[in-house]
Amino acid sequence: MGRIVLQKVSKKFGEIEIIPPLDLTIEDGEFAVFVGPSGCGKSTLLRLIAGLEDNTSGDIIIDGNTVTQVPPSKRGLAMVFQSYALYPHMTVRKNIGFPLRMEKMDQAEIDVKVNTAATSLNLTDYLDRKPGQLSGGQRQRVAIGRAIVREPLAFLFDEPLSNLDAALRVGMRMEILELHNKLKTTMIYVTHDQVEAMTMADKIVVLQAGVIEQVGSPLELYRAPRNLFVAGFIGSPKMNLITGPLAAKHGATTIGIRPEHIDVVASGGTWEGTVSVSEHLGSDTFLHVKVAGFEQVLTVRSIGDIAVKHGDKVSLSPRLGELHKFGADGLRIG
Amino acid sequence: MANRTIPRLLQTPAIVLLLFWMLVPLSMTLFFSFIRYVLASTNRPEWTSPSISNWRGFGNYQYVWNQDSFWLAIHNSLLIVCSILFLTVILGVAIAILINRTFPGRGIVRVLLISPFFVMPAVNAVLWINMLLDPVLGLQGTAVAGANDLVALLRDAPVVGSFFSLWPQFEPISFRATQTSAYAVIMMVTWQWTPFAVLILMTSLQSEDQQQKEAAILDGASRWSQFRFLTLPHLARPIAIVVMIQAIFHLSLYAEIEIVSRGNGNKNLPYYIGELVNNNIGAASATGIFAVILANIVAIFLLRMLGKTLME
Ligand SMILES: Nc1ncnc2c1ncn2[C@@H]1O[C@H](COP(=O)(O)OP(=O)(O)OP(=O)(O)O)[C@@H](O)[C@H]1O
Ligand SMILES: [Mg+2]
Repeated sequence: MGRIVLQKVSKKFGEIEIIPPLDLTIEDGEFAVFVGPSGCGKSTLLRLIAGLEDNTSGDIIIDGNTVTQVPPSKRGLAMVFQSYALYPHMTVRKNIGFPLRMEKMDQAEIDVKVNTAATSLNLTDYLDRKPGQLSGGQRQRVAIGRAIVREPLAFLFDEPLSNLDAALRVGMRMEILELHNKLKTTMIYVTHDQVEAMTMADKIVVLQAGVIEQVGSPLELYRAPRNLFVAGFIGSPKMNLITGPLAAKHGATTIGIRPEHIDVVASGGTWEGTVSVSEHLGSDTFLHVKVAGFEQVLTVRSIGDIAVKHGDKVSLSPRLGELHKFGADGLRIG
Repeated sequence: MANRTIPRLLQTPAIVLLLFWMLVPLSMTLFFSFIRYVLASTNRPEWTSPSISNWRGFGNYQYVWNQDSFWLAIHNSLLIVCSILFLTVILGVAIAILINRTFPGRGIVRVLLISPFFVMPAVNAVLWINMLLDPVLGLQGTAVAGANDLVALLRDAPVVGSFFSLWPQFEPISFRATQTSAYAVIMMVTWQWTPFAVLILMTSLQSEDQQQKEAAILDGASRWSQFRFLTLPHLARPIAIVVMIQAIFHLSLYAEIEIVSRGNGNKNLPYYIGELVNNNIGAASATGIFAVILANIVAIFLLRMLGKTLME
């Protein structure tokens, strides 16, 4: 079990309110991702749940028990830090076994659990090394191992992959997902990388300045962003947001269209423009197109490699069915 | 190879100078320790100047080895050095942890804490033995007298009077006596050197990783476990530094011993050598060589012990 409910939880550092009162429910077994720009309070929210910070008001409820006054170690949560936070003077074996040793479990039982965790994380060869003698990926696995052996109600990850290189990050992402499929334990995962959020989450929580902008599954957020912030934040490359008379024509203050929903056509498209930059990735081509009458440069994504270069004239045809409309208050219309 | 010769040539003067600097005193001590060499001798005037013809072999070493006062000096040296190390490390860790938190007036407290370190050793000894520890005129004398007066007063009080009349008179301790003078030295040097330990340990505490602490909190580590498994291993190296440096300094304590008791009862090795030098240079040199050996043994022993206990 591991159902986490936040009720009107808020946090002030001194006079500054970093997190205004917010409500949030994370169901048992869910993989929830907190995503948002740097400094929006993701880590703070996670630390509030872990108990490393005291909330200024509101209640945190885990499995029906109010834990607001419960010390961190008694909340049954395990946390994996961005900097790994391994104990540098202990071997990998001691690191992984540390929480069990603190529970005064007997040594034979600790050894069994440590070995099981090490096997599932491919760490058996490194058990007698110190953290300083491991690579970044191995260190992160040790940190995860230390979290697993406690058999927590929920795992909390604070940007666990951001110190790893891109290739390793993709691999570790898969490992964490497999772990989730195997253990079926609630996981809360903080990241500012929206690709990580989209690929991993059952539920994404988009935060900005401590406020929850939207909660939903990755595709819900992709298909129906609740406001301009979510529209701009979810999706890569970013959604094109167009203001002015064109938006007014559709009865909105701002209209949004994702780059992958604009087709490049031979002729007779809705918009005619000039390519300013074209990025050829092989599988995709990203075009940045200047269209007369638009303030913004449009981003267009087309599948495959299409032969256009800087200065070429292109004709664009947006799929009007995929248009997002936003009102003057920035909220979605319809 | 030619390109190596010139740098080596250019380094030579410095190296030669350094060698002379270290080797000349050491070899002179070694030489003196193997000959008969005394400053005043009416029977054997030939012994009063250093000469190879006065060769005595290991005679000086044997002579010193068989002196009870030599073993007493070694015993005292070890007692003083080890006690000071033990006390300064414990006090240093405790104080460093205390003042590492934020509290109002932290800056001033830190400056005050460091100040004993800037007192000259001789002044430190004079202050302690005369103003603090003197059984009559010092703080100790005053305090004991005050306590006795208070007990005397309470004896006449109703109800509790009968209880206090069972109490004996408090006797002040004379720290210049044979049995106690080493303790006076330990106290004053500990007072003076604790700030050194605090200073080094505090800087090290500030570099401790806070996320490790938080991880340990989540892992259910109590405050003591956090200290034992994270802070103490983190401090192992700075503690080793504190111990090494202090061991070097305190094996050669002299001023404090001279001022507290003129060596009465608590001669350490340097003081013992100092007394021998008044006449028997040969024996003094032999003791000096023993002192060098002792210092090395102490250093190796301390390092091993620290490495074992703290690094797990
Ligand atoms: N101990 C603290 N005292 C005062 N302000 C703090 C403290 N911790 C965090 N803050 C502030 O709270 C805000 C949110 O910080 P937080 O670390 O939660 O951001 P984040 O979303 O995790 O950002 P990032 O993606 O960069 O890690 C920041 O503006 C930060 O300056
Ligand atoms: Mg953060």
